[in-house]
Amino acid sequence: MKFGSGSAATRIALWGWLAFAVATLLLGVAVYFAAHTAFSRQIDARIEQATTALLIEYHDDGVRGVQSALDQQGRNRPIGLGTALFDGRGTRIAGNLAIPLAQPGWRNIVFNDPGEGREKARAHVTALPGNHRLVVAADLESLEAIDHTILAMFGSAVVVLLLLGLVAAILLARYLRGRLAGIETTANAIIDGDLEQRAIVGSAGDEFDRVALSLNAMLDRIAGLIGNLRQVTADLAHDLRTPLSHLRNHLERMRGRQSLTDASASIDEAVAQADNVLALFDAILRISELEEGSLRRAFTVVDLSALVSELGETLVLLAEDERRSLHVAAGSGVSIQGDRELIAQALTNLVENALRHTPPGSVITLQVRCDDGDAVLTVNDNGPGIPEGDRERVQQRFVRLEAARSAPGHGLGLSLVRAIAQAHGATFSLGDAGPGLCAEIRFPKRITA
Amino acid sequence: MRILLAEDDVDTVEFIETCLVNLDHVVSSASCGEQALLLACSSPWDLIILDRMLPELDGLTLLRTLRGRGVTTPVLMLTALGRIEDRVDGLDAGADDYLVKPFAPAELVSRVQALGRRYAQGGIATKLRAGPLEIELIAREVRRDGRVVTLQPREFRLLEVLMRQAGEYVTRTMLLEQVWDFHFDPQTKIVETHMSRLRAKLNEGGLPDLIETARGSGYRIRAT
Repeated sequence: MKFGSGSAATRIALWGWLAFAVATLLLGVAVYFAAHTAFSRQIDARIEQATTALLIEYHDDGVRGVQSALDQQGRNRPIGLGTALFDGRGTRIAGNLAIPLAQPGWRNIVFNDPGEGREKARAHVTALPGNHRLVVAADLESLEAIDHTILAMFGSAVVVLLLLGLVAAILLARYLRGRLAGIETTANAIIDGDLEQRAIVGSAGDEFDRVALSLNAMLDRIAGLIGNLRQVTADLAHDLRTPLSHLRNHLERMRGRQSLTDASASIDEAVAQADNVLALFDAILRISELEEGSLRRAFTVVDLSALVSELGETLVLLAEDERRSLHVAAGSGVSIQGDRELIAQALTNLVENALRHTPPGSVITLQVRCDDGDAVLTVNDNGPGIPEGDRERVQQRFVRLEAARSAPGHGLGLSLVRAIAQAHGATFSLGDAGPGLCAEIRFPKRITA
Repeated sequence: MRILLAEDDVDTVEFIETCLVNLDHVVSSASCGEQALLLACSSPWDLIILDRMLPELDGLTLLRTLRGRGVTTPVLMLTALGRIEDRVDGLDAGADDYLVKPFAPAELVSRVQALGRRYAQGGIATKLRAGPLEIELIAREVRRDGRVVTLQPREFRLLEVLMRQAGEYVTRTMLLEQVWDFHFDPQTKIVETHMSRLRAKLNEGGLPDLIETARGSGYRIRAT
């Protein structure tokens, strides 16, 4: 059976209605049979009672006793009961019941009611000595009347209930469709390109409102991602234009060169510029790989103290060559779950950043410490720092502050550090080292090892 | 060396052949996985250069099959995918080295030479020698003309990598990988900084420089 195809709401409502109808019908049938059986038993009991009374008469006075009892009943017989006594030849010798002779036991018979014609009755035939038979029968008219009443009652009840059920089903279907239509309208609006559209959330806080809330949260997330993607694409296109147009200019200029040495210098420059573009791509790919969060599978225990002291040896020399000094405080035994190389990359980036944006003679500190169970890596410098309002912004892709425009880089260093921190479940923050910049990667207690 | 190149991109094949044939290597190429597998198993090679994405049978599966059949020929895997997971997968499958496209000719040549040499050397050396230089790998001692030169651990490792490839160029990327275990470009002068200190220590007293620098190729220590 297929109800209301195309609308789950209608289908659910109709199935509910059908179940309701079947239940009502089953209840009616059960009541009918229960009442019918109970009344039948009651009738049988009355017959048995009357038969017993007559048998007592027989026991006391024989056939004559029964005859006189029946004659008396003929004048004053119980309502709905009929009796008859047959002799050995099958002739009715007493009683009012006009029926032919029947075999002993329970019988369903039809008799002639002088007033109402042929009627059904229930009879019990008892064999008496001397081939006499005693018949006690009860009119089934009352049972039929009760059956009819029950049937009529349930019949009309079923019809009324089914009508009510049908109305309820239609209303329920309409309600469900109405509630879902809001979500559907929103979805269609988004399909048509209106990404700002959101589902209306009612005040009931029911499952529909919760679905609408989840849907809106999902749409917000998607809108955020799309916005991010648009921004990155636009930035990427913009950031690639510069090195690519430099590259193109170089190649154009080479066209005019006669001397091989001149051309070779230009080729070197062009290759360096192409490498620059490739490095930019690598950084973007690395960030997006980190943002996927799939690297966590390969994480192992990383001894941050050992890593910092080992990396520190290299970075100290680097700082020395750049005429800045780097102090390393590695502590001991601070470990986390992570990727050693990624953390090395983040630290190298932070130190490189500090070297790039501080004046010669500055002091940079690379430190690892344990803070209330958290493992904390910090890179501090005593340079100019970053104004508070810009600290969040510089962590975004391609963002470079005016002051740093002339320095090399793509504005991806800090966003890479942030992506690495996030891939580890750690937080990255920039603060004031008073004076200078304080960059901190904080690994929460749960991922320390 | 006899080199099998499994690569489907015609431009790349041409580029690699040009790079290697100049160095007197013999390069045979296969343009699909099935063909490469057949060739790899049918005759001995000194090196297999294997592209990760090949038609019919991809590079990773091909490499696992080869290693499964007991073929121990060194494999340099090429890929356009620069993701961390891809490199780990490649090395897990049995690649000896991994190179991300696009790459400079010097990068390819240095790695091919290094793989060929590693294979030819076979046993584990405890002493390396190049010209007046001698290093003891176990005692971690360096001597130039018999005189001991004291190096920091990182400088020692740098010299060791150069001396293992004595006579050949070693690129900056290879040094970052082998000395620092960095598979990313730190965008810093780490290598240059250490190289200048290593040089200063080796050449102390005005001795001639033993390390050559070639722009775009890397560093080389003279073999004799």
